This record gives sequence, structure tokens and C-alpha cells, in this order.
Amino acid sequence: MSKERIKISEDLYDIMPSDYQDLVKSATYGKEDRGWKDIGNSKELIEQHSLCAGCPESMAFRYILASLPNPEDTVMVGSTGCTSLVFPMVAVHNIHSLFGNQNAIASGLKRALSVRFPGRTKDVVVLAGDGATVDIGLDMTLQAWFRQEKFTTICFDNELYANTGGQESGLMQKGFVAKMAPVGKLFDKVRLPEIARESGCHYVVQCTVSKPSLIEKVVRNAVMISREIGPTYLQLYTPCILEIGKNSMEGLQEMRDSEKPTERFAYKEFISEPAKELLAELAAKDKEKKAAAKQLAAQGA
Amino acid sequence: MADTHSVIGTKNKKGQTFTDTWEMLNEAPRTPSFFTGSEVIKEALRRASCDVMIAYPITPQSEAAALIGELFAEGYIGDYFRGESEFAVMSQCAGAAFGGARVFTTTAGPGTMRAMENFPMWAGARLPIQMIVTCRGINSPLSIQPDTLEIAYLLNTGMLVWHAETAQDFFDWILKGYMVSEEPDVHLPLALCCDGFFVTHTKDVVNLTPADMCLPPYDPYRSPVPCMDMECPPVRMMRDPFVMKSNYISYATHASWQQEVWAAVERSRKHTIRWINGLIETENIDAEVLIVSSGTAVSQGREAIRLLEDEGISCGLVKIKSLRPWPGEEIREATKNAKHIIVPEFNVTGWLAKEIKASIPNSDRVNAGPHVCGGMTMPPEIIVSEIKTLLGMRTMSLAGRGS
Amino acid sequence: MGIYLPNPGEAHINGVIVPEEKAYEEAAKQFLMAKVPTLFPGPLVLWDWNEKAAKKATAIRHLYNTLKECVQPGQTPMLIPMPDYRPKYPKINPEVEINPNHPNLTIWHNKIDCCMFIGVHCHQANLSLKIIRGGTSCYTIAMCAQAGHEDAMLSFRDASVEKIMKLAEWVRKLKGTVQPRLTSAKSGASN
Repeated sequence: MSKERIKISEDLYDIMPSDYQDLVKSATYGKEDRGWKDIGNSKELIEQHSLCAGCPESMAFRYILASLPNPEDTVMVGSTGCTSLVFPMVAVHNIHSLFGNQNAIASGLKRALSVRFPGRTKDVVVLAGDGATVDIGLDMTLQAWFRQEKFTTICFDNELYANTGGQESGLMQKGFVAKMAPVGKLFDKVRLPEIARESGCHYVVQCTVSKPSLIEKVVRNAVMISREIGPTYLQLYTPCILEIGKNSMEGLQEMRDSEKPTERFAYKEFISEPAKELLAELAAKDKEKKAAAKQLAAQGA
Repeated sequence: MADTHSVIGTKNKKGQTFTDTWEMLNEAPRTPSFFTGSEVIKEALRRASCDVMIAYPITPQSEAAALIGELFAEGYIGDYFRGESEFAVMSQCAGAAFGGARVFTTTAGPGTMRAMENFPMWAGARLPIQMIVTCRGINSPLSIQPDTLEIAYLLNTGMLVWHAETAQDFFDWILKGYMVSEEPDVHLPLALCCDGFFVTHTKDVVNLTPADMCLPPYDPYRSPVPCMDMECPPVRMMRDPFVMKSNYISYATHASWQQEVWAAVERSRKHTIRWINGLIETENIDAEVLIVSSGTAVSQGREAIRLLEDEGISCGLVKIKSLRPWPGEEIREATKNAKHIIVPEFNVTGWLAKEIKASIPNSDRVNAGPHVCGGMTMPPEIIVSEIKTLLGMRTMSLAGRGS
Repeated sequence: MGIYLPNPGEAHINGVIVPEEKAYEEAAKQFLMAKVPTLFPGPLVLWDWNEKAAKKATAIRHLYNTLKECVQPGQTPMLIPMPDYRPKYPKINPEVEINPNHPNLTIWHNKIDCCMFIGVHCHQANLSLKIIRGGTSCYTIAMCAQAGHEDAMLSFRDASVEKIMKLAEWVRKLKGTVQPRLTSAKSGASN
């Protein structure tokens, strides 16, 4: 939908709740260089959320929604879990159907949108927890990558099943004692970023959401590459502060501690050759644009 | 925004003319063709203006699913691929339907069971997907032979469920099915069932509509729920949100949501009756003995009636075409004079007899059986034998056959 | 009342199929009798997403203005949007909106005794109509762009700008001829 079509009927504008008036007036649909810096001076695409106070997922949601390159033509797919309590508040069409089938839904969705809107950009972005991505949905996660489906998969890795009360998950670290892991988890954290690379993902990043600028960069890259080339995967550490015994203000520090070079969320990135070429192309175009803008500004002055 | 009516008379990229469906199915000339059931599915799909078909191999639907792949290669289907399992395929179908596509898939037996979690979700999400179910055995030990037990599981999903007797039913109902499914007051998935092999792998003469006519495309903006394509309001929209944190409010939402799905099944009655000419078909229902059945058991019933006639026994027939919506009233009316109601079925539990018993007065008139299961064919003689036993006549025991 | 929706050119009143003309008259009467006759426009008309939507919005505003002109002192027409369908936490503000997950809150809070849904997707309209019917005594009207709603007490189908305008005409025509229920203690807030 073009930005112009996200508008309220004039004759009923006055009765619309203020959050929708704000959305139409100052959300960043259609803004080419949208990003995390818009947060605070424009209407965000997330209205409210029902996550726990201080939950890093809420930060992640805000950064991601601020960074999608084309929200007016993006459909998101979620899965069951904490994220599905946030999605009703997101001003981008999004789908929740079953637990774990998110990459299958996205496969069908992306193909339907390609059939219905040939020649137009319609981005599909999956955002699900680690239980959905790696445990119950692993088959569909991988198969979508094998098939080279053109959408982005984002996993909010909180290393357990948070919404059901903190049970062991495949992405949980070895030895962690949790529900259903009463003597501590007995096997290693599943190495999904490596598996993603081997499964055909063209852009894989593992990081925490401690730095909004980094999230902006990787989200943008992932979406642009999936639009043009093939599947991309982001694994973002969004610790469940509740289940790891932290206070609501300690989420950020937990992420900073876990992203040190020797820790399990040290920055990890794989980029395929075609994706590298695309990123270089995009960077060159960006540079050109900036130079042109500079020149224009200079002429104006 | 697509407008279904404005395209009628125009051509698609394959040169087919988008035709008013009623005209195409009821007035256009028909060509008799000798085809297997699987080929008939392909021919129906050729005319269905289908956007997305997703396939997975499982006997006995594999052939049909592969033939539709050929249609895709020829350019008749928008997109087509093989999924990784029936669970995934049905979710992929859901994704495509959420995105506003007309969607088709086929499955059978264990595949239906594996995918089962999707079906109430499809219905709850109001996705008008069409799924062909070529029924086969689902129990251990493994059997690829026809057995209709899986239909029993589909009856409570909120899907529309039709049961075809012949390949001709199949051809017409695939096309008509979309018309019923996609009505905005219905907008539910359809499980179009047949008995595997008997219908899919046998050849029959089927009257086909002209190949240069096709259905008008699906218009997702008439849907009773917003299409997930970022082209329609509201922009802040999740399909479908959890409603669980607002206490009594969530109860009211969930209860009315489920009621609405089943109300949509009920609303489909009007359209189903119009399109498939009634939920049931009847012959000679003044007879004291009636065979009431669905699927290919109806064909065996017809043969049994012929054998009984030879012996001077009059027997009527009720063919149930639609199981959801359930033709309770029609069956009540059709069976009001019957003293014996024989329900032959291709499954061990006799789910159809149970449904009929729950719908009519004096349900002890219902004879649940004969049953065959696990893929046996049903010789008309065992229906005859069952009826003669009921009438207190001497009959050959089944064990004596062939000895 | 069974489920059999009207065919084109028809409407239903309490489940009885009637010619559309009769439904205009009855709907106008119900509006003019009500203490708080209310229009609930939904996303399909609140958003200017196609040409028809904006025109319908204009017609709805016209109908609302007509109601305001035609009611008697003590009657308070309202125009309350259903901007989206999401469950809102912890709850909605019933003064400014109605929501299909708990539409009864808006009916109760504003003591609405007659309402009309328009531009709401059929599924969500049906959820709302069922909950209102189950929990309030509010008279419900659906101006449906598709096949109509059996859960409304009165339902039009194939809603268009012309039909909305025609309903406004009927309200004007019946102005002063209908006795409002002002003295009745019974309102949407009671059960």
C-alpha cells in the first residue's frame, strides 16, 4: 500500500482515536531513510505492548519496526509466544496461526503476494521465539531456507520458553537448570546461525539488541537481501529477565555482558557472495545519493 | 483492487475467458471425456483460476497433485511447489490464503491426520482453501487402500465437508466448491472428499466444460476478515490475535468466534443447495427399505438395489452429498416412511450411521452397516445380504461366498 | 430464528425477510425512538483506502447530522468508531471507541439503545453483534456491504452510498412522527 493510502477518511477524521491520527500524521511509512533515530520524534508502529516491564523484546520490537525499509508493503508473520501478545499492537499487517508454522505461513504468503502483485515490492518478515524457530518449527524453518524462499526470519532468542513459564528450549545454554531441565540442560545450545548458513541463508547475524544502530543495519540488510536474493536469518538475544532472575532494569546489562567476544552472543555474521555484491551495490547507491544531496545543499547555499 | 465482476468476458494470460460460473457450469456445452479421477482433478483446476497450489506426495492423491504441477508448468496456476509435510503444506496454504490467493491442495489418510491442527485454524481464520481428500486407511498396519475414517475427524473442524461419489461430482464440485467457500457470509475451507482409488484411479466418462472458460478470480476484499496484504484497512491488524488477558471479555470473544464459524457453516446451506442442487439426492424413497450413504458406497448401494429388484424387493436410495453443512432436515424428510435404513460405510466405526441416528426419529430403524474397512471393496452382495437379513429372509452368509 | 440471509433487494427484520423499503422505514423508526441512536463506522469506511470508502464516510457523516437534526430534546445521537479489531489492554476507552472483543462496554457506558454497524468486516461485525445481543438490550442494525447479518435485529445487504443516503432520507421523512422512548427506564445499560 502506498503511504498515501494509509489515510483516514476526511469526514470521519475527528472521531478517530488520537493514536490513529498520530499514525497518519507522523509515522514514518514511506520514509526512505527511516531508522531507529525516528523513535521519539515520530509515531512508532507499535502502539503499546503487554510484555513484562523492562523486557528486552519490547526494545527489539521498537528497533525492528523503526528499521523495516518498507513497512507500508511489509507483512509480518509471528508465532505463539510472548511476541504474539505484542503483534496485535503493531501497525503492519501480521499473521499468527499456529505454534511453529511461521516459516510455512510465510512461504505461502510470500508466494501469494508475488502472484497477486507482480513487479511490486512486498516484503515478508517472520519474527518468532526460539521455541517456535528451533524446536517445534525447525523443519519448516530449514525447509523454507532450502527452498530459497525470499523472506527474512528473525528469531528472538531468549534461551527458553518464556510465555509458558520458563521451560528448556533447544537454544538454552548447556547446564542451565529450568523447568523440564531439572538437572540442567544436557546438550549444547543449538548452533542455528551455522545451520542457517549451511541451509542456504544469504545473510546470517547473531547479536543482542543492546545497540539500536546495529539492529537497524542488520534488519535493513536482511530485508533487502531477502527481497532480491533469498532467505536471511537474524538471531537476536532478548533475555527473559523474569526467568533468569534479573530485575526489570537489568536487561540491557545482561545483553552487554553476553555479547563480549568470548561470550555466547558475540557478534556473528555470515554473508553469501551474491549478498555481499548486493550490499556493496546498495552502499554505493547510498553514497551517490548522499553526495548528490550534499551537492544540492551546497548549490542551495 | 480486483473486482470479480468487471473481469467477466476478458481473457487470462492463457487465453481462457473469465466466465460467469453459473453460466459456465450450467449452460456452456459439455464434452464427454474418458479420464481417471486424478486427470479430472487436473481438468477442473485448469478452469479454476487458482493462484497457489501446494503439493505433497501421499498415495492415492500423488498423481493428481503432480498433474496440477504440469498445469503450473503450462501457466495455468499462479504458483506451485512441493511442501515438506502435510502439516507444513496446510500452513503454507493458510499463508497463501491469508495473502488473498485462491488456494488448492490435496491430501489423503495419514496426511490428513498429520495436518489436522491446521484445519480448525483454517476455519477460525475464515480461509476459503479447497482441499481434496482422497480417503485411505489411517490406522496401523499401514494401508493405502480406501477407507473413510479420516472424514470423521474433519466433521468437527468447522470446514465444509462434501463427499463425492463419482469423478463427475468431483469435476463439478471443485469448481462449485469455490463458489460456496468464497461467499462472504461463508468464507470457510472446503474438504472435498472422495474414496481413494475408486474415484482417483478408475476411468470414467466425465462431461467437461469448455477448456477456454475459467472461473472469475477470487476477490479477497469481499472477505469477512481483512486480507493480509497491506492493501486494506485496518493497518494495525493481526490475524488472529490471542484474546486471553481480559478475563470475562475473552470468554465472550472466543465463544462468539466459534459460534460465528458454525453459523457460517449454516449460512453455506443456501449456497450449497443452489450450487450442487440440494444437499442430498433421493430415489424411490417411498420404499420401506432405504440405503442412505455417501461416497462410493452410494454406487455399491445402487448396484445392490438392482440386485434386490431382481428378487422383487423394492429399495430406495439417499445419496448424501454434503456432510457439512449436514442435511439433517432433508434426511428426516426423506426417511420418514422408511422402516429400515441401511447405512453402508467404508470405515470400521460407522460415523455416518451415528450422524443419521442423531438426526431422525425412531433411530432404531438405522442399521449401521455393512462396513468394510482397511481398504476392502464392498461387494453389493453384502448390502443385499444385510437387507435380506433385516427383512427376515434367508441369505447367504458372507463367509460362504466363493466356497 | 434460523439462518437465511436476504437476497439482493431484500433485508431482514428480526429474521423475517422483507423488501428493503420496509427495512429503511423500520431502521429510521428505531433511530428516532432511541435515546442514544448510534452509528458505529468500521475500518472499511474510516480509512480512505479506495474511492468508495471516502464517499461512504461522507454519507455516514450526513446520516449522523440528519439524526442530530431530527431527534427531539433528550435524544443524543452518537458517532463512535470501531477503528480496529485488536484486543486492547487493559481495556478500551468506551467513550471514544467500540471494539469487537467487548463491544458491550461501549454500549453500557454510553447507554446506547440503538446502533448501526457499517464498514466493519463481516466476521468482526458478527462477533460484535452476538456479544451485544447476548449482553445488552440494544437494538442492532447492520448496514452490510456483503450478504447481511443474522445477528443484527435488522440488516441491510449490499450497502452503498445511495443506501446510506436513503436511510437518512427516511429519518428525515419520519421526523416528528415517532414517539421517543425518553421516559423508559430501559436502556442499553439494562439487561
